[in-house]
Amino acid sequence: MRLRRLLLVPLAATLFAQGPAPRKAEAPSYQELKFPPLPPLKIPRIETYTMTNGMRVYLLEDHELPLVSGLALVRTGNLFDPPEKVGLAAMTGAVMRTGGTRTKTGDQLDTELDDIAASVESSIGETSGEVSFSALRENTAEVLAAFHDVLTGPEFRPEKIGLAKVQMRSEIARRNDDAEAVAEREFVDSVYGKDTPYGWQVEYATLGRISRDDLVAFYRRYFFPANILLAVYGDFSTAEMKTRLEGLFHTWTDRQPPVPPFPPVLAKPNPGVFLAEKEDINQTVFYMGHLGGLLRDHDDPALEVMADILGGGFSSRLFKRIRTSLGYAYSIGADWDAAYDHPGLFEISGSTKPGNTTDAIAAARQEVERIRTSEVTGAELETASETAVNSFVFHFDTPTKTLARLLRYEYYGYPKDFIFQFQKSLAEVTRADVLRAAQARVHPAEMTIVAVGNPREFGKPLTALGLPVHPIDLAIPPPQAAAGAGE
Amino acid sequence: MRRRVCALLLLISLPLCLRAQDLQEFEKRVTEFTLGNGLHFILLERHQAPVVSFHTCVNAGSVDDPKGKTGLAHMFEHMAFKGTDKIGTRNYPEEKKALEAVERIYDQLEAEQARGPRADPGKLAALEAEAASAVEKAATYVDPNAYPRIIEENGGVGLNAETGVDSTNYYYSLPANRVELWFLLESERFLHPVFREFYKERDVVRMERRNRVESDPEGKLTEMLLATSFAAHPYREPTAGWASDIEHLRVEDARAFFAQYYVPANMTIGIAGDVRPAEVKRLADQYFSLLPSKPLPHPIFTVEPRQEGEKRVAVETPSQPFLAIAYKRPNQIEKDDPVFDVISGILDAGRTGLLYQQLVRDQRIALSAESEATFPAGRYPNLFLIWIAPSSGHTVEENEAAVYAIVERLKTRKVDAQTLARVKTKLRASLIRQLDSNEGMASELAFYYANYGNWRKLFTGLDEIGRVTADDVERVIREYFTASTRTVAFTVPPPAPSEGASQ
Repeated sequence: MRLRRLLLVPLAATLFAQGPAPRKAEAPSYQELKFPPLPPLKIPRIETYTMTNGMRVYLLEDHELPLVSGLALVRTGNLFDPPEKVGLAAMTGAVMRTGGTRTKTGDQLDTELDDIAASVESSIGETSGEVSFSALRENTAEVLAAFHDVLTGPEFRPEKIGLAKVQMRSEIARRNDDAEAVAEREFVDSVYGKDTPYGWQVEYATLGRISRDDLVAFYRRYFFPANILLAVYGDFSTAEMKTRLEGLFHTWTDRQPPVPPFPPVLAKPNPGVFLAEKEDINQTVFYMGHLGGLLRDHDDPALEVMADILGGGFSSRLFKRIRTSLGYAYSIGADWDAAYDHPGLFEISGSTKPGNTTDAIAAARQEVERIRTSEVTGAELETASETAVNSFVFHFDTPTKTLARLLRYEYYGYPKDFIFQFQKSLAEVTRADVLRAAQARVHPAEMTIVAVGNPREFGKPLTALGLPVHPIDLAIPPPQAAAGAGE
Repeated sequence: MRRRVCALLLLISLPLCLRAQDLQEFEKRVTEFTLGNGLHFILLERHQAPVVSFHTCVNAGSVDDPKGKTGLAHMFEHMAFKGTDKIGTRNYPEEKKALEAVERIYDQLEAEQARGPRADPGKLAALEAEAASAVEKAATYVDPNAYPRIIEENGGVGLNAETGVDSTNYYYSLPANRVELWFLLESERFLHPVFREFYKERDVVRMERRNRVESDPEGKLTEMLLATSFAAHPYREPTAGWASDIEHLRVEDARAFFAQYYVPANMTIGIAGDVRPAEVKRLADQYFSLLPSKPLPHPIFTVEPRQEGEKRVAVETPSQPFLAIAYKRPNQIEKDDPVFDVISGILDAGRTGLLYQQLVRDQRIALSAESEATFPAGRYPNLFLIWIAPSSGHTVEENEAAVYAIVERLKTRKVDAQTLARVKTKLRASLIRQLDSNEGMASELAFYYANYGNWRKLFTGLDEIGRVTADDVERVIREYFTASTRTVAFTVPPPAPSEGASQ
């Protein structure tokens, strides 16, 4: 290839200068390009059924690579932590895997799985728990056996509970070291409030009260077949995988009463400026916003467009004004972060040079005010909708994205074709819709504003924003004599 | 830059039996060609979905920053999103004049600043005000962020760039029907760049340093580790740039850097996804042949002198502690390169790595303990890095001692066959796990060609790993993991205020 090119270039310039199609010296303008339509989306086939023990199964064959992977999605979450034992769900999720199974210690599992480059992992987050696995095809039987044992019979050996406590205590000790994490945590906790688990955090005291019995009880309450969606994907035949799963799981018949819904969000608006002083950083990190909505809200598509125009990307208003035009910030953005089952957050976040703190926050507030007082421009709406329409194919670029989406929809009770409904609504959003939705759902007077930084360097004080400024106490409550056992 | 190193680690080992076959199978889907100006293209066909990922790797990074102008490679990367004489402007002839006026005022400002103590404060203030208004005038001709907006409107995702120590990388993905748009935008970006909004972007770049280094204890520690470890080689300079260097970067610096390093033969383009080779060749020829061919820039000739004696550096921070231990090692094309990858796999391989087992699991003195075989990058002699976050109540001293105990044991007790096999198997599986990612493959193919002259190194590098023996591990540990070529960087709490006042 190299030879051909080397020859062609000088030849084209001399001998064939009169040829039929001389090379253009200039590229065309991007507006002149014509694009053919994309082929229709290929939706992978997912086999779905319910086992006799009540576990829902989703199988997706994908033979591109010699790998088999899977995921048990469990209805649980740290929203079920008892108030005096915050951290229980997270610790249960960690020690399920590290604490080993009835027949093998966690360390034995580590070696056996790593020897074949396979993995089995477990975790519990805010509104779901999961046990996942992955292996080369040739090790399907071994990894499924280990996955089954971790999911159905974790042993919660005390030494790994002790290790988990050391790790979680170390994380508490480090939780104020990263300004970005501090700002996000304080914003989320301030908006959701301390009255519900949405605003709680793990403390030395709550950790100290957690015992092995608590872990075992938490596990038993939530890990039973009818409470699980099991997805397996990769290089296998569906019929054969069904047989394997039947063989492994048909004797697992644990039952529990249905898991109740997650606690509701009860937060009231918490307006004002909240300042966490941190002197060892050379920037200010800020978050502002208030409670948002659900993905299934009828005005959610208009609100997503609104947030996109306000702060969604390189061409958004906040990026253009605060980063490109004012040069105040490296990072700046806005998000209508809707959740599946409880009000999410409307949030704006950024970081700025300490001396610009108050001005940057003021500029961001002006942009919030502006988006709810006048219509966005036709060009802005077109950018937002073109972006959404043209990038839609990336929701389908790997088969596992379709599987993950199906799983999430089933878990949270959304229709299977929700993404297509959503896309259709998104394409129909008008400028008037954006303004109407912003006026109904964006409330500048209710915004919680959190700043983390060194106020002595703020140039203008935060009080110049005309709002009350409340200090945030970052002091970590010291460990007390732990009541718990298990170490 | 960390990410690149991690990716490198993942890429290493198909066992001999499988590898040859896999490479043959893979090779059928790869097409590569070089344009007359020296620009190299590598295409991996993956027709699973109608999407394509693009990755431009430029063999120029912060290692190439001129003296006193650290941060320049990174600054140029930011300017590469500012558009061209056709994209991002409302009236280019007028804008050009306004930009020239900005430069004239900055020339005067710089000349006055250069007078140091003899500078006239009144004149400085006047020039700064003049500069600000000239910048505002130029801004009136700008269609802000037009270049990235066109990409986003066309469904582009994952749009970003990274400046590394050895290279600068630009990448995004598009729906497969818009492949030509990438050819147009990417070639125009390097054919007709306009350095608009330079001084505002310089503030953004300065902000990025605040964000990544000055407000992050790990960032500060990394910077001091490199500045301490390297006496001569530019690996000692931060990619983000020193603050005062950034604040004095000028448009002409960026233009000169571009002219010297952004030459076609110094760039590699990786493409992966649903596109045919004939189309790629046709479009590459149509758009990128317009780039004039230019001589390759020189590599860095400075050779880091041999380190004779341990170096230690303490960094004050009120946050929880970190510890970094780094040993000097040869560059990535030296024969022992794969041995360092295996050693990193022995030390840090999740829960079966020695660092995890000893420091985290058994002694419980660390929250995390990791290693990287190649740091900060691999083209020149570099560092084998061990990075530790002590657990609550435990010290850097305890962890340092525990790391040396592991290293010393590896010098006298050979690694067992099971461990060696496990490390190789895991590396092989890691490679397989990334083959279905267009973004990942476009990046890896370009990286391997740019760094080793052949994308096949992605696979054949695994041969080399496969041949590493327990004796090699012992030999390399003994040769390179010595106290006298070691640099140790660690955090300490700041002194109490009264103490500080007396210092």
